[in-house]
Amino acid sequence: MANTSFCGSPDHGVTRRSFLSVPAIAGVTAFAANMRIMDALKNPCLAGELKRQQKSVILLWLGGGASQFETWDPKPGRLTGGPFRSIATDIPSVQISELMPKMAQRLKTTAIIRSLNTRNADHGGGTRLMETGRAMEAAIDYPDLGALIARELGRADSQVPDYVSMYSETEGRHKGGAGFLGARYAPTFLTESMIPPNIRRQESLADVDHQERADLQKLLAKRFADKRYNASVASHGMAYERVRGIMASEKLFDINQEPQIARDFYGPTQFQEQCLIARRLVEAGVPFVKVARAWWDSHGQNFETHLELCADLDQGMSALLDDLKQRGLLDSTLVITLAEFGRTPNINASLGRDHFASAWSCTLSGCGVKGGAVYGKTDADGHKVEDGEMKSGDLFATIFAALGIDYKKEYHVGARPIPIVDFGCKPVTEILA
Amino acid sequence: MNLARRLSFLSFLLLGGNLIAAELVAPDLTIEQAIDHYIQTRLTERQSQPTPTADDCTLVRRTSIDLQGRIPTVAETKRFVDSTDSDKRVKLVDALLASPDFSYQFRNQLDTLLMSGQNGVSGEWREYLLKSVRQNRPWNQMFRDMLIGNDDDPDVKAATTFVRVRARELDELTNDTSSIFFGVNVSCAKCHDHPLVEDWKQDHYFGMASFFQRTYVTKKNGIAEKFSGEVKFKTTKGEDKVAKLMFLTGTTIEEPVVEVSAEEKKKQDEEVKKQTQDDKAGPPPTPPFSPRAKLVDVALQSGNDQFFARAIVNRVWAMYIGRGLVHPLDQMHSGNPASHPELLEWLSRDLIQHQFDLRRLVRGIVLSQTYARSSEWNGSTEPPAADLFAVALVRPLSPRQYSMSLRIASSSPEAYKPATEEWSKKRDELERNSEGFANQFELPGENFQVGVDEALLFSNSPQFADDYLRDSGDRLIGVIKAQADRGTQISTAYWSALSRAPSADEVAACEQFMAKRTEPVAGLRQMVWALLTSPELRFNH
Repeated sequence: MANTSFCGSPDHGVTRRSFLSVPAIAGVTAFAANMRIMDALKNPCLAGELKRQQKSVILLWLGGGASQFETWDPKPGRLTGGPFRSIATDIPSVQISELMPKMAQRLKTTAIIRSLNTRNADHGGGTRLMETGRAMEAAIDYPDLGALIARELGRADSQVPDYVSMYSETEGRHKGGAGFLGARYAPTFLTESMIPPNIRRQESLADVDHQERADLQKLLAKRFADKRYNASVASHGMAYERVRGIMASEKLFDINQEPQIARDFYGPTQFQEQCLIARRLVEAGVPFVKVARAWWDSHGQNFETHLELCADLDQGMSALLDDLKQRGLLDSTLVITLAEFGRTPNINASLGRDHFASAWSCTLSGCGVKGGAVYGKTDADGHKVEDGEMKSGDLFATIFAALGIDYKKEYHVGARPIPIVDFGCKPVTEILA
Repeated sequence: MNLARRLSFLSFLLLGGNLIAAELVAPDLTIEQAIDHYIQTRLTERQSQPTPTADDCTLVRRTSIDLQGRIPTVAETKRFVDSTDSDKRVKLVDALLASPDFSYQFRNQLDTLLMSGQNGVSGEWREYLLKSVRQNRPWNQMFRDMLIGNDDDPDVKAATTFVRVRARELDELTNDTSSIFFGVNVSCAKCHDHPLVEDWKQDHYFGMASFFQRTYVTKKNGIAEKFSGEVKFKTTKGEDKVAKLMFLTGTTIEEPVVEVSAEEKKKQDEEVKKQTQDDKAGPPPTPPFSPRAKLVDVALQSGNDQFFARAIVNRVWAMYIGRGLVHPLDQMHSGNPASHPELLEWLSRDLIQHQFDLRRLVRGIVLSQTYARSSEWNGSTEPPAADLFAVALVRPLSPRQYSMSLRIASSSPEAYKPATEEWSKKRDELERNSEGFANQFELPGENFQVGVDEALLFSNSPQFADDYLRDSGDRLIGVIKAQADRGTQISTAYWSALSRAPSADEVAACEQFMAKRTEPVAGLRQMVWALLTSPELRFNH
């Protein structure tokens, strides 16, 4: 068939029919979407679809930019290597920084990528790049990873939020967002308080009244909505139907619901507690949770900084992986440990490392990932990628592939097809299970 | 491309619509007659049955939201519903177009079109738009104000904010100008020629960018143009090219060659540098050749102005009907023809012949039968395709419309008196007081979805309860709690919130709900909540 897309490249062979249709939630409601049709979303009949929808992502975000040298790609004995040693791991051929001793015993769950070259070493630009998988563009507001996952893995009638972002520290705090996907996929953003906004019933209203007035609203709304074949109207009903479920999910955010033994297992820091909350959310069906841990921007005293922060990360991340595994959730949960960029090989006069986006690392653990794999290689001093260079879009393609999401799929903004990952980006199959 | 599409492309571009124009129905029809003629012709061809005219309550509500930016008050609704004047719809539309509300509403629509997503927009810009709507300033004149500007005229001084807020991003200025004023999103053509039709090539993208390349922001936050500068780009074949000043029709502009000595050039460059760095610099120099002014000239030149006219006709149509004749709105090219090409041509010709009078266009659209259809579909099959306009399309209220409508719906029916002298001032207050709540909502785009955050806000936020569910005498709940009879209470609440009487079923449902309440005022509050959060209030239908 001839390529009939508006926008040149043969990569997007969409049909005229498909680009004239309306991409609506979960791709089902293109032409007509009254409540009866929306109901179909609750009963996905394809087994594959059902399976895909049970998957989740936890993003451990290292705001400010963690050093690859002090984590996943140590260069001991080199001028750029710093004072820390590397240590053996549970994978015989692989060594990581001695600052990550617990993770060193858990690499069987985890793949390390050592070859990110993302070229943007500015906090704002790097953050947008690593959040959305592509460079900013004037004409389009791109959604971030959380919104994309909420859209792909969330269920229209979900009784829990689809995208929760915890960002308690102020460095690099950034809500991110759903861009052209719309507010339906925007994050529940938690900063000072761990209680999501408007999740609690006002005390002046009894629970039974809260429930019954919602029932009355639904009954009265039906007369209107049933005769309108309109996806926006249907989404209004769906949003109100989710209210009670979301309210019931408040206890998911409450760390006190966990027994002390579980809390001790994760550890006492804010980051470690939020890792535990992330597990609670994922267990309840939240498809995307971000836990940000900031203050990695170590222009001065890089080594003291990493000594402290890596201990926090190593404990929180390894407890999270262990807990997910014990609960049988690790096969369906992808844990991503990522920052906006890494840090320079050169150690500056303040014993710091500066911003560096040319050769840095991240990890993927759990769902769809080949544990123990190491992908890519930097040169002896860590100045550049020697093998397996990856862009942010390649990382996104790999993440989607690990979750069973078609990385070639397209959205449409107006008539313009927007591939879910940037043009020309492909998954790295070597680290996929 | 097949032959039919090639022909349509030729007529679209080369003949500038003249081929079709010869076949158009007479120009002396009213706008509403022309609309209904073309829409009905297509419906007949497709053997599609449109829905009947909406009832009076729906029609006055719909028209009020569209022309006043808010639901009608109960008095306004009843006045229309009770009138037996056979000409009452025309009278309603003319009264609303002349009301202070219309200036605010249409200003807000234009502001959304021109500035959505932009930061740093001042109150002066919105004042400029408001004045322009009040004076019914022609759209081509506004285009000139916004692109070229006139610092000497205090009324239009703020118009170039359009350029200024985008001037630091050449791509944004190029894309937004093409998309908003010409209905053409050229962003695809930045990286490669359009593959399907000859419409958009890299030459067009960079040609459009050339008109803006010399524009810069001064240290004093004004805009100015450099004396020289051109856009260079690499073609997909890797060839380096200097862009010509090229409009979307392919019309190019040659800059007159002026010999400038090296010394003079240096002086010019230094002056520009000073303007960008020194907040005490005098007024910026005006180069003899202004590419931006040339863009306005070439775009409004007879023969080329069809682009400009079609784009705004299509956008205004979509504002009131819910979908463009060409859809999406920024994809006006031969690969994506209009659902009713003759109607688009007729309306564009009419707009040009009537000096780009947008209020006249709005009036015609709103008076059409097409606009007045019911949005209810009772058929056993799915409704006809949206681009047949057989069923009125349901549209989400804008954040501002929603916020203002909620205020009116939740107030005493006596609280707002639009027919009175002081209304102009009150309307301004309503606009301002509604802003805070409005800012919590996303501007609805295509495929708008209500998020659960909105439902949670209405369900649990103290702000919603405080603003809309109080029971003081100036509020709806305060009024109905003093009413003795349950039926009257329910009826009053329905008229106020949904601009209609409740059906027998609805009365029964509300009565049943109230019968179970132990505390009457709290019960009324819950009942009113159920009406204020109704999709029937959330949407224009």
